[in-house]
Amino acid sequence: MPPSRGLLPLVVVLAAWQILAPGPSAYFPVPFEWWKAAVALWNSGQLLPASAATMTTFAEGLVLAIAIGGALGVAIGTWRPVGRALGPLLEFLRAIPPPVTVPIATLLLGYDVRMKLTVVALSALWPILLNTSSAAARIEPLLFDVARTFRLSTARWIAQIVIPSAVPSLLLGIRVALPLAIVVTLLVEMLTSLPGVGALMMQSQRNFQSAQVYALLVMVGLFGFLVNDLFAIVEAVVLRRWPPRGGFRPD
Amino acid sequence: MIQGRLFGSLSFRPNVAGLVTLTACVLAWEMAIRAGAIQYQYLPAPSAIAFGAGELIASGELLDATLHTLESVFLGWAAAVGAGLSLGLVLGSSPLLQRYTLATIEVLRPMPAIAFVPVALLLFGFSMETELTVIILPSLWPVLINTMGGLREVHARLSDVGRTFRLSHAAILCKVMLPASTPAIMVGARVSLTLALVLAVLAEMVGNPAGLGYAVIAQQQALRPDLMFVYVVVIGLLGLMLNVVLVGAASLCFPAAAAALKGRRL
Repeated sequence: MPPSRGLLPLVVVLAAWQILAPGPSAYFPVPFEWWKAAVALWNSGQLLPASAATMTTFAEGLVLAIAIGGALGVAIGTWRPVGRALGPLLEFLRAIPPPVTVPIATLLLGYDVRMKLTVVALSALWPILLNTSSAAARIEPLLFDVARTFRLSTARWIAQIVIPSAVPSLLLGIRVALPLAIVVTLLVEMLTSLPGVGALMMQSQRNFQSAQVYALLVMVGLFGFLVNDLFAIVEAVVLRRWPPRGGFRPD
Repeated sequence: MIQGRLFGSLSFRPNVAGLVTLTACVLAWEMAIRAGAIQYQYLPAPSAIAFGAGELIASGELLDATLHTLESVFLGWAAAVGAGLSLGLVLGSSPLLQRYTLATIEVLRPMPAIAFVPVALLLFGFSMETELTVIILPSLWPVLINTMGGLREVHARLSDVGRTFRLSHAAILCKVMLPASTPAIMVGARVSLTLALVLAVLAEMVGNPAGLGYAVIAQQQALRPDLMFVYVVVIGLLGLMLNVVLVGAASLCFPAAAAALKGRRL
């Protein structure tokens, strides 16, 4: 995290907005209004269930994506013929932007929480799957010899060489998947009005409650920021246990 | 296994297995629906999608929607690249400014693009401005970060060369540092373009009712899955095509820098 004096521009802009605003504005409420709207939302009992719904779907979808993406990625990367055969199909599926899967899922699966979870998991799946499979396919050539020398069985080969080699890429994939999962969760809520922060935001916008819209924007931004920070900590811990292999350097 | 690796890049060998798998999947899908093995009310067969495509091309709707999306993607992307590049150059060449702005960037960057939609709708209603607002802000970040990173990684000796020739700071920036960071900037621009397309579609789905994103939602609500899938396929193809066009244009203008682009893949 860069020096905190870097927050100066943000603080200055918000303070200037607050102090210099000519009067109550319908479209540009001052930051204090945002705070008041946030408190009002909390008191009205709408904020907590909405946030809980969004956060649970996000977390569950992410866990599903990591489990399936990781496993599939290792499988695709390890068995080369499978990887090559599925290549163009995966490339094309990857080119479809995650938001577009929402209406497809809505038609096929209906307007319920199960659809929401499926879409979030599917969207978060791609970066994880692709990163893991490419890492599993690009294992350090020397390790093949190591495996042969120790006559490792396939199971041990996967557990002791493939997976540790794929961990840094897996983490990179998760880091890419995090914002994707947040966006898709909010998108589903906005399009289908299933309970969540997204639905709350659209409702506020339709009712022209601008302070509420800004307040929710800040909250979502904070959530995104916190999730990223938390993941950075998790990443540091994991990478200490399984450091990325920078290749064999004969001394 | 080791021998396979010694043959270097396999990119010129046609991926027969891949093409066969793709064709087989499409055929299996078609057969399964015709035989009644899969009975999803809203899952159309590939042939239905193909007929739908013909219908949309004939009526001109597909072209209109595609042109609208392309227009907003290019406008938004160009603005994002311009802003990101300028900001990146200013910040990248001044450690003092960096110290006073990086934390703000780190806080603003993780903001989910979709959170801007309600605000933009509030300010601009259902219009192109809403769409552009949603596209430009998040597309800025990759260009900004990559420009700053590229400047940082320019070899110190190159700026020494500039000083040996007694060039001014501005001249060093324009004639030495900027050309040297072109590969990094290209990567940023490419990521930004892909992002711009996704954001344009997103903005059209929940914001501006025009273009490919809106068409997908409209067909979904009209319960025409065959037409909906046509738009989905077009969006996917557009994404692939934009990448190819960008890499091609970059190869023409900056042959050396473009070589760096070809090796990258997210």
